[in-house]
Amino acid sequence: MRGQIIDSIFDQMKTNPDVFFLTADMGIGLVEKFEENYPNRFSNVGIAEQNLVGISAGLVNLGFRPFAYTISNFIIHRCFEQIRNDIGLHSYPITLLGTSTGFDNAPLGPTHHIVDDWGTLKGLPNIDIYCPSSLSYAANLIEKIIQAGRPAYIRIPKGAHTEPDSEENMIKLRGESDDVLLVSYGNPAQLCIEVRKEDPRISVLVINRLRPLDDLALSEALDLHKRIIVVEDHFPHSGLFGSICEFIATHPIHGKIESLGPRSYTFEVGTSPEYFYKKYGIDVTSILEVINKKDDK
Amino acid sequence: MQTSTNNSTTSVPVLQLVDPNAVRRSVLTMLYRAKASHLGSNMSAIEMLIAMYASVDCEKIRKQKSDRSRILISKGHCAAATYATLAHYGILPMHLLETYHLDGSKLAGHVSHTVEGVEHSTGALGHGINVALGCAMGLRSRGHVNRLVLALVGDGEIQEGSIWEAMMFAVHLKLNNFITLVDNNRISSITNTEKVIDMRPLKARFEGFGLNVHEVDGHDVLAIMSAIEQIQKDNLPGVIICNTIKGYGVPFAEWQPMWHYKSLTEDQYTEAIDHLDRLKVA
Repeated sequence: MRGQIIDSIFDQMKTNPDVFFLTADMGIGLVEKFEENYPNRFSNVGIAEQNLVGISAGLVNLGFRPFAYTISNFIIHRCFEQIRNDIGLHSYPITLLGTSTGFDNAPLGPTHHIVDDWGTLKGLPNIDIYCPSSLSYAANLIEKIIQAGRPAYIRIPKGAHTEPDSEENMIKLRGESDDVLLVSYGNPAQLCIEVRKEDPRISVLVINRLRPLDDLALSEALDLHKRIIVVEDHFPHSGLFGSICEFIATHPIHGKIESLGPRSYTFEVGTSPEYFYKKYGIDVTSILEVINKKDDK
Repeated sequence: MQTSTNNSTTSVPVLQLVDPNAVRRSVLTMLYRAKASHLGSNMSAIEMLIAMYASVDCEKIRKQKSDRSRILISKGHCAAATYATLAHYGILPMHLLETYHLDGSKLAGHVSHTVEGVEHSTGALGHGINVALGCAMGLRSRGHVNRLVLALVGDGEIQEGSIWEAMMFAVHLKLNNFITLVDNNRISSITNTEKVIDMRPLKARFEGFGLNVHEVDGHDVLAIMSAIEQIQKDNLPGVIICNTIKGYGVPFAEWQPMWHYKSLTEDQYTEAIDHLDRLKVA
């Protein structure tokens, strides 16, 4: 997914002289081509995320469209006030690129678990938030963001998933029954698609743009389902579960809302994302158990 | 606006300079009318602001030309002095100063980019300097290598780590159009800066980062302008340590940390204006 996003930015740089790529010393093997081909529109600012965002804001003052790249936690948490003041208050069209999501960096420990990034950002009023679930969505995302001309954050999952093959912000994979709807994004969306393959009765709603949510599309997608289970690799209260609860509170949706996802940090070592998916009940087996357990009652 | 005569200590050409006494009078009136704070920080920076705007093409700022030099006010709490200076240079309509800090105004107590002539909204410290660096990089990238970026920071503000992130990178890039002016009034929020974090010798610290450092009397407009001119002749980003007095020009407020917060009574306002009147006559 990262490669797709990087290639899209590189393609835009060929024709758009305002696109400027910045990194806080991340992206080995990916970002070198920016420096080689467009040295006047590339900067490695070093391990200095506050500077990364501040410099990006200054570049917007000169009419540039900066893309600022580093690990998700670093670009959100280290420089939150820079994002609030220097991007948000000015409504500057800067795109923050956060590499890795959820437990992509599993064995590196909680500083590198991306479980509260976009939820933190959600507290700010005017930054669009994306988490592409597939290559098809990632392919045209950069062009869409440039056209929108707004502050944006892309939470980029590791992996190169081909499903769903769609450019839509929200994709409904309808099941044979209206009983259970799984709602997810990023890598856990793939787990939900796997669940649907195991049990064709299940419907899955994949959301690629986490904010803003399309009210009408979401209302239609949630309608009629008896159980709505939000599955995510992020703290639910500040994540999509929180967003869906807020939506349901103000719309005539009657299904029961449930949540699966991590609730706190952990120092426990897991060598793969799957270890934590199982720990937090978002692996395929656990999701099926939750669906069937409630079905038995 | 008055015409200033050049003196023998500087090579700066004769320019139309704004009168610090007139700006100080405007600032006092703005602060008194609004019962606003930050008197000390506004008064210390007035000559610096006058010198900064005198060193660039204000007409390009007024017309918002893309190739204008940029002035960033990183210590955003000197908003009253910034707005007054902009008004006296004809960039901001003078009548807007009457709305400072009042209901419905866009002139808040920290500088706002919604106000004519202000490049970036600041208030939280350690932000404007990084944005200024981005402007300097952007100017170079656009080919406007002769345009200046001047950033005003406080000496308390340089306790923020982000300041030093900007300094390191500016030196690495050898951006000699990027000049930071430090309002070295030696008082931060609640006490003297040397009691909080003693940064002395400040010049050596900046030099240690590789910067081209000048140290001047921060209430001497021509000396500041001369330093700005000198830095551009070299190939390194510059820092101008402007030694100032917090509350300068208001005798009862000079060197007093409490005037970061206090607002003027009617008697104090009258006393301050009377003092400026006497200076003008003298």
